[in-house]
Parts: sequence; C-alpha cells; structure tokens
Amino acid sequence: MGLVGFSLLLFIYYTLWVIVLPFVDSDHVIHGYFLPREYSVILPGIAALLLVLFVGTFIAVVMWKNRKPKKTQ
Amino acid sequence: MTKLMEWLSGLTVLGVLWAAVTFDLLGLDPPEAVLQVSWPLPVFLLVALGCFSLGTVGYRVATFNDCQTAAAELQAQIREAKTDLQRKGLRF
Repeated sequence: MGLVGFSLLLFIYYTLWVIVLPFVDSDHVIHGYFLPREYSVILPGIAALLLVLFVGTFIAVVMWKNRKPKKTQ
Repeated sequence: MTKLMEWLSGLTVLGVLWAAVTFDLLGLDPPEAVLQVSWPLPVFLLVALGCFSLGTVGYRVATFNDCQTAAAELQAQIREAKTDLQRKGLRF
C-alpha cells in the first residue's frame, strides 16, 4: 500500500508541476515549492538513465558469476 | 497493416501534432501558458504511465490473497523433491 501512496503522491506533484503551474500567476506563493520547469524533464531523464544503468549492471554481474570455464580434454 | 505499423503511425501523428504546437510550426502563436504545458508533455505522459504501472503493481501485490491449500501442497512437493534429489546424490 505504501507503493500505491508513493506513486499517487508522485503523480499529483508532477501533474501540478507540469500541467497546473503554467496557469497560475507567476507571483503566487505556490511557485516556491517547485523547481524551474527544465528540471521537470531533466530529473525523469536522469532517473531513466539510472534505471537502465542499474538493470544493465545487474545483468552483467549475474552473467559474469554464471560463466563456466571451458572444459579441456 | 501490422500492429507495429499501426502503433508507429499513431505515434508519428501525435508527435507531429506535439511538434507543431511546441515549436509553432504552423504559425498559430499559442499563448505562453500553452507552450509551457506542451513541451514537457511527452515526458509527462511517460512519467504518468510509470506512476500508474507502479501503483497497479503495488495494489495487486498488497491485495493478493493467501492460497492456503496451494501453499501446503507446494511445501509438500518441496520436501519430496529434496529427499529425492538427496537420494540421487545432490548436496544442499
């Protein structure tokens, strides 16, 4: 259930950031709770990169551990 | 048309629409707020899909029922397999 709550929170924050904030006056206090808009693309990009790196590293480690030396007669 | 071609042509149409709005290719001059919503839109849809997937996985894991009879049956099969393999010489 924690995962559901976390993903809901993330979705609401990100939706506010990308969809709602451009229609709010630039001197409203809520703008202080969000980074500049560039980060709304950069941060998910970095997260995706880290995910790919992690998955690739995991596969490489597992395949390395399972290598068998060649049998010689 | 294959499914792949269908998906690709659908994505291409949406991509062209997005580019036309974001980079003002048709000279429509959208208001500033629309431009600010439009350019992160592909990333936003991906993040929304990710959140939905994460939430669905979490919900299904949390509400998965215990299957008592299947669990007992599985434990019995594990014991049986262990004794069988030990008899055949495999060491755990």
